[in-house]
Amino acid sequence: MLAAVAAAGMIGTLAACGGSAGGGGDDELTVWMLTLEGAQKEAMDTLVSDFEAANEGVTVTIEERSTDAHKDALRQVAGTDAGPDIYWYWEGPGLGGELVEAGLSKDLTAEYEQYGWADRFGEATLSNITRYGGYHGVPFTQQAEAIYYNKELFAQAGITAEPTTYEEFEAAAAKLAAAGTTPITFGGTVNWHVMRLLDSLIETNCGSDTFDQLVTAETSWDTPCVDESFTQLKTWGDEYFNDGFQGVADAEAQQLFYTGDAAMAYEGTWFDSLVVDNGMDPANIGVFKFPTGTERLYGFGEGFYINAASEKPEEAAEFLDFITSTEEQNKVVGAFSPISVNTEVPTATGHPLHELWPPLYDAASGFYLNNDQNLTLDQTTEYWRVMNSVLTGGLAPGDAGAEFQAFIDSNA
Amino acid sequence: MTAVHHPPAPPAPQAPPRRRSDRRFVQALPYLLPAVVLYLGFLVYPMLDAVRLSFFEWTGFRNDEPVFVGLDNYVRTFTNDPVFYRALTNSVIWVVLSLLIPMLMGLLLALALNRRMVGRNLFRSVFYIPAVFASITVAAMWRWIYNPNVGSLNQLLEAVGLASLQQEWLGDPQIALYSVFVASVWQGVGFSLVLFLAGLQQVPAELVDAARVDGANRWQVFKAVTVPALRPTTAVVTILTIINSLKVYDLIVGMTGGGPAQSTQVLALWSYQQSITNHDFGQGGAVATVLLAVSLCLVVPYLVRTLKAEEH
Amino acid sequence: MSGATILANPSASGGQVAAVPAPPPNRPRRDYVGIGLWISLAVSALIWALPFVFMFLTSVKTNADVNTAPTWHLPSVWQWVNYADAVETGDLWVTGANSLVVAVIKVPIGLLLAAAAAYALARLRFRFSKLVLAVLVAGSMVPIQVGLGPLFTTMLSLDLLDTKLGLILPYLAFGVPYQIFMLYGFFRAIPDELEESARLDGASTFRIFWQICLPLAKPALAALFILDFVATWNEYAIAATLLQSQDNWTVPLAVLSFSGQRSTEYGPLNAFIIMSAVPVLIVYLLFQRYFVAGAFSGAVKG
Repeated sequence: MLAAVAAAGMIGTLAACGGSAGGGGDDELTVWMLTLEGAQKEAMDTLVSDFEAANEGVTVTIEERSTDAHKDALRQVAGTDAGPDIYWYWEGPGLGGELVEAGLSKDLTAEYEQYGWADRFGEATLSNITRYGGYHGVPFTQQAEAIYYNKELFAQAGITAEPTTYEEFEAAAAKLAAAGTTPITFGGTVNWHVMRLLDSLIETNCGSDTFDQLVTAETSWDTPCVDESFTQLKTWGDEYFNDGFQGVADAEAQQLFYTGDAAMAYEGTWFDSLVVDNGMDPANIGVFKFPTGTERLYGFGEGFYINAASEKPEEAAEFLDFITSTEEQNKVVGAFSPISVNTEVPTATGHPLHELWPPLYDAASGFYLNNDQNLTLDQTTEYWRVMNSVLTGGLAPGDAGAEFQAFIDSNA
Repeated sequence: MTAVHHPPAPPAPQAPPRRRSDRRFVQALPYLLPAVVLYLGFLVYPMLDAVRLSFFEWTGFRNDEPVFVGLDNYVRTFTNDPVFYRALTNSVIWVVLSLLIPMLMGLLLALALNRRMVGRNLFRSVFYIPAVFASITVAAMWRWIYNPNVGSLNQLLEAVGLASLQQEWLGDPQIALYSVFVASVWQGVGFSLVLFLAGLQQVPAELVDAARVDGANRWQVFKAVTVPALRPTTAVVTILTIINSLKVYDLIVGMTGGGPAQSTQVLALWSYQQSITNHDFGQGGAVATVLLAVSLCLVVPYLVRTLKAEEH
Repeated sequence: MSGATILANPSASGGQVAAVPAPPPNRPRRDYVGIGLWISLAVSALIWALPFVFMFLTSVKTNADVNTAPTWHLPSVWQWVNYADAVETGDLWVTGANSLVVAVIKVPIGLLLAAAAAYALARLRFRFSKLVLAVLVAGSMVPIQVGLGPLFTTMLSLDLLDTKLGLILPYLAFGVPYQIFMLYGFFRAIPDELEESARLDGASTFRIFWQICLPLAKPALAALFILDFVATWNEYAIAATLLQSQDNWTVPLAVLSFSGQRSTEYGPLNAFIIMSAVPVLIVYLLFQRYFVAGAFSGAVKG
């Protein structure tokens, strides 16, 4: 019948032209990462163009997405042929590990051997690469998170020294609120933003060992230190957060810090270039570690992973070797993080904020990860729901731990 | 001499009805097949598969095998899933509100527009155009309007001195769902309007005239002539409104993603998030099955009635 | 009059208004009710149109303007470049082309298949034709999201993820049923004598379909064509599930991504939203009467 023939013909041509196999076309490497701006974008462009210049005929195409869209996209392509050759991701078990388990990441033991990467990166950096057995991913940044603060606003509120204990920290927030400034700014619509505060409160109240046991479900969340953390979180939300935080995203919340309307922001090493790009004077900004009273620093590693389904693993490995090489890292260090993962590269200079970090790194005995990298996907969803319910008053802080534990138990 | 009886000529041979129907079926096949095959393969099969998966545990990853768990997913959904009841309640609220507000507004507007007036087409267009936009576009528009700092709504309230009414429209779990609903009213009224307008055209002018001549005022005309004549249209608008409100998805994804604190979750979105985002196809399948059951309960009676009515 | 009659006779609506009769001549007063009505309609319409106005104003402002002055103020600088920025950031050409290709291929094929099936059900009445029709329509009334997860895995196993073909097949499956329903009503209304006389002339089933029934259904086909085109252009849920790489995105996906990624670039954001809606707006303005007539179809597509 005519219709059938016509349909078949059209569909045939479609099939021929519409498809996309794993990765890019011949000699094209596709890379998926987060949306880049300002200094970070320039840095990535430099790396890419240098690589393309050194490797004739190879093009590198970068696809950018916002944080949550990037996570969704990669989860969708795990196990399909629709993914990129290389993807950037957070290394912790709840995120990077999940994709390793899904079979998206190629085991790079051979490549580590071939390029000698085990010597290029530090031990702490490699810990999240090797924890899944073999080698998964190539480190790109080891980010640390701490409280950025506006020195001028602190001075105006009568705060003379950086807080070293949690009590001093909360007192500082109270002074800022009394002086009429928003003490700290968060974007509530992206749950992982406020989560940083909650995670650090738990580390503070429960200590490092209990924290680790909590996130691996070895001990119950229905415990006083967790209840205390949620209670403190509620106080922060009610008294010290920016108005309307529940309805804004991280980008908008950060605007408040850039414009001097908020005194603090809980961000990480990537924030150094962002504050400058957005017009702040780095001399006016300070950084202090969230006073948990433990020796760990809040932070996580990010790396580039090679897609197990990629048809160009050799070129992909070449690219990753290139961008983490001493020569290239020397060019871009500071854009993504002041301290390069490449142990031969000195700390970035030329930016007063960069110098604040090495002491923090050195003083730390290790890192504690953001909980969305510790917990499984459905646990993370529930963790965020409980956190938000406490903040909006839908759940009493004292019941939050028990509620979360109930979820863990029933889904074990 | 014997009369030869010629038996009356037998009637022209008729194929027995059963065989003709079968022959027709064979004839119909090539016309029917492509559409039906597509339908079965890409609509029915995925939906039935969702029901099937609800009895398994599966992450959806290629290297993972589904594991049969019987009714476990349903037990978990009905007893241990705090979000499920929120999603179910929200879906019900949405249906009820959609029947009450946009439908009523559409009817009122249709009645108002059902007369000659200057700019009638313009008015109709203004109310209908939002319905032509993609729901995702409407969501992006209203998300901007609801922006707490620079969005138009809060700014308007401040300008007219009603700053105290300013809210976190999409950030307050108590009102977020209704904020999204407002956007859906903005988009959906035009649709009811046009349908009711079409229905009003069918009201026989003679009946209206006759009633007027009998001295009936506008309200009495409305009650005695218009309302009964609109019944079929109302039935159609009702069922379509119900179906559409069960399908609400794009608007929520675009405005709140289900938040804050899962307060704008609906069954369609929760099922999707569990399957695709959380990689729990079993749970997602269970929620999807509930949605399927609810939809069929509402749709099948209507279909049966309409198709029976078709016969007459 | 059943609802089906309205479905089957779209030409009955959308044309002249069955106007309420003018007040009888012995009441020479002004039609205050009418005037009052018009005014309240005008005010309502104005309020209804406000979102567009605000968006347009914001789309031509700089971020500074947006942050400092209220929305309804005119921009201090008419930042038309926002539109150019938006096109580039949001990849409007590529996604627009994708949407166009998908729509141009899917809509005619879908209509053809639907017409053929409707013809079979309406005119070649066989034993279970009613049942088949019911099953077809029931499925289209259920939310797509019920089957999204399995649809993803099906396309995965067919190796059609992230392809246009993989997108078009479910689009056809979801779009065709109610088109069948609508065309069914049309074809049923065709008088039997027409078909009988054609058969007497020796016409084959196909010729009756192609040369008699289809032309008679032209108004319905036109209405369905327009509505289906718009609905395909606007579809989000299936596209979001099946398309991954940004080069393959359709316009709705780009809108959501822009809204999330660049939420603080207020000017280009609004410019992008407006531009993504313009094609549909143009289609509406050109083919208004079809929307009014065939609004039923658009509704079910959702």
